[in-house]
Amino acid sequence: MITEQLIGNLIQGLILGGIYGMATMGLSLIFGVLRVVNVGHGQFIMVGAFMALWMFNSLGVVPVIAIPFAFLLGMLLGFIFYYSCIKRLLKGPELASLLATFSVGIILEETIKLIFGSEFRGYNWALGKITIPFTVLPYTKLVALSGSIIVAVLLYLWFNRTRAGTALRSVVEDSEGARVCGINVDWQYALSFSLGIGLTVASGVMLTMFIPVGINPYMGGQYTLKAFVIAVLGGLSSPYGAFFGGLVFGLVENGSYTLLALIPHVEPFALTRFLSFVMLLVILLIRPTGLFRTR
Amino acid sequence: MKNTLSKYLPLVPVLAGYLLLFLVGENLEGTWQLIALLAFYCALGQAFNLFMGMTGYVDFGYVAFLGIGTYGMAIAISRFSDKGWGLGLLVVGMLMAIGMATLLSLAVGAVALRLRGAYFAIATIGVNEGLRYLIEGARLWNGSEGILFSGHLKKAFGRDFAIALSTYWADVMLFLIAAFAAFMTLFYMRSKVGYALTALREDEDAAKVMGINVTKYKIIAFITSASLAGMIGAVAWALKLTYVYPPDVFEIHYTVEAIIIVLLGGAGTLLGPIVGGLIYGLSKYYLAIILPGFQLLIFAPIIIFIIVLFPEGTVGVLKKKVQGTFWEKIIV
Amino acid sequence: MPLLKLENITKRFGGLVAVDDVSLEIRPGEIIAIVGPNGAGKTTLFNIINGVFPPDSGKIHFEGKDITNVPTFRRAPLGIGRTFQIPRPFGSASVRENIAIGGMFGAQGHRMSVDECMEKAGRYIDLVGLKEHADKPAGGLTPTEKKLVEIARALAMKPKLLLMDEAMAGMNPKDIDKMVEFIKEIRKTENIAIVSMVEHIMRAVAGLAERVMVMHQGAKLVDEPTREALSDPRVIEVYLGRPPEGNVADR
Repeated sequence: MITEQLIGNLIQGLILGGIYGMATMGLSLIFGVLRVVNVGHGQFIMVGAFMALWMFNSLGVVPVIAIPFAFLLGMLLGFIFYYSCIKRLLKGPELASLLATFSVGIILEETIKLIFGSEFRGYNWALGKITIPFTVLPYTKLVALSGSIIVAVLLYLWFNRTRAGTALRSVVEDSEGARVCGINVDWQYALSFSLGIGLTVASGVMLTMFIPVGINPYMGGQYTLKAFVIAVLGGLSSPYGAFFGGLVFGLVENGSYTLLALIPHVEPFALTRFLSFVMLLVILLIRPTGLFRTR
Repeated sequence: MKNTLSKYLPLVPVLAGYLLLFLVGENLEGTWQLIALLAFYCALGQAFNLFMGMTGYVDFGYVAFLGIGTYGMAIAISRFSDKGWGLGLLVVGMLMAIGMATLLSLAVGAVALRLRGAYFAIATIGVNEGLRYLIEGARLWNGSEGILFSGHLKKAFGRDFAIALSTYWADVMLFLIAAFAAFMTLFYMRSKVGYALTALREDEDAAKVMGINVTKYKIIAFITSASLAGMIGAVAWALKLTYVYPPDVFEIHYTVEAIIIVLLGGAGTLLGPIVGGLIYGLSKYYLAIILPGFQLLIFAPIIIFIIVLFPEGTVGVLKKKVQGTFWEKIIV
Repeated sequence: MPLLKLENITKRFGGLVAVDDVSLEIRPGEIIAIVGPNGAGKTTLFNIINGVFPPDSGKIHFEGKDITNVPTFRRAPLGIGRTFQIPRPFGSASVRENIAIGGMFGAQGHRMSVDECMEKAGRYIDLVGLKEHADKPAGGLTPTEKKLVEIARALAMKPKLLLMDEAMAGMNPKDIDKMVEFIKEIRKTENIAIVSMVEHIMRAVAGLAERVMVMHQGAKLVDEPTREALSDPRVIEVYLGRPPEGNVADR
């Protein structure tokens, strides 16, 4: 009985992990190119979540359609924040960009709260479900997973097969050299930052396809922590590593939840969140460059 | 003797400021609540500045130390209220708060302080979350229900004194803690610790080459800052509110406030946290009346504004202006 | 006993061999120059001596003790000091404070109080001629003045060995000569060995160093008294730097 439940939860965890992974790709991209840690990461996910919520409840638009809009919104926000403050802080102490992205996160929270209020909301996109051995999967979750995989593949293709993507990779390797080749490094930075934010906001939509409830302005914080664990797992600067790190994290999260639920006198949900934090510390101590050797 | 006097001269405006605040609150009708709030923010700023200001590292999980200090006092009062220790109970509570905060800082520091800049921030961002969910998850100290000890407090001290404690003496203690934190800051600044911290803040690698054991000094600053936070939590949250509730005491926005105060006032300066605490405290108090719910939305962009345009903060700018004059010795 | 002894030091970064089996001995009070084109491995070698990172293989002995795995901050009290090519003074601290910091954590630092270090800093301020800027923040000085602060700070550490990284980069010939004289002076008064790393300022090498080690692609090419090194055909062949004025043999 327990093993069945465990396997069922692990499958769910794998799917959720794929979404987590996609959500973290933006974080890794921004760090990999600009060496900036986006401490407001979770809040951008929250923005995407609200976008899905609003488009579904008010416009009757299906979340899948919301994804590209969320992505574009994210890119717009990214450009705004890059040119208004991030750019100026690139040369300064790390403290500066950390605090700036942190503050941006707060601004997002408070603005969304102002517009939508702080109650917990949700939406219901009923597509039906499919029963597989060990567990039941609503189609929405599968859509979300496919979306995540498609985005990851698209990103990979863009980086490695297009001129624009190659230019970006050259900037990561050697910004001076890239400059000499006529590449506008500043524009590349702006592009990467916006791309990263776009990915993050889009992932918020996908997250709601998996968890369409509990959407509120302060939901972002927990995802920031999870994203950090995943990013560090996958190697802080590697977007692909982030994807696989997400899968691992999803498995561990759901697996530990199932196992912890078996222990009496313990609240498994809270303890699982504690565990993510422990994971983070352990990895930072042992292998800060990540478990995966992707570049 | 004369040398020591001139070294500690900068404490004069600090202590004078606190004394002034106290006198205003004592004598001006109805202002005590505001004054107590200001004292809290000044103390918080002073304690946080000891680490963030002097090392340049941001501890995003700082509120965890406030929280655990609150627990220390709460546990002491709820467990030992019937031992008849009188004021000794408060001493025990304070010692527990400091002890627990120190232990926590050692645990966190052992991992986080080996890491540089961004990695350190990442490591600390989950500390308050982690601790909160550990307490809730493992049902430590009543888990998610928290501890309510107003009854124990009244039993230990009698109803009248218990109320006086929560509404008056706790705030007085806050002033004392703020003054103590200021003293510790200046003490470090004037000793090798302060110079080591300045060096590592400016250029950690060059500091190592100069022979500075950067990890050791980061730990010293970290533990001191954490213990002070524990003391503040014990007094401003435990004694005043007479209950401790995990979601409240591990709320990240207190870290945000601490950051704002230190940046506004001037990170790494002695007077900065007071100036920052006053400005922030007053603004928040009056904003809450005029535009409730908008505080963070107004202050968050201000943080960005300061970082980009005025990174040295109010006192930092002031210090530059008074360079070469007599005031240089006092405005530190 | 040699002051510093490097034995078969090798360091790789990924596939690149930055330092290739280098051995070197430095005696107390010597002045030697390490010379080589960009990428020859000089900076990496300095970083290894300093402890910024450990070598992949090989050993370092200082005054007979094995310091191969001793962390950076412990090497200063042992007596190893360093200046950087681009000066890195602590910008918000004053010149005096910068120099005092050198003293506080250097060789005799643990015996001295903050006040003593501040006092002793005065001597080094005078030595480099920065008296009028003594209490100004180091961040506001000109690059040359910052260089002097670097040197004074390193000297305040009371090193027995001073690693000087491109100390004369960007200077005009007159200033180079002054610096050369200055270095010779401090070698005498402070009784330290100096390892000067230069890329192409032959004027400095010829006038200053008793011995020259030429590096090429991470490996040691020659290690000879200056005269011989500068006219060694191997050196001339591999390293087309600017020849010194006149004939080296005449100096």
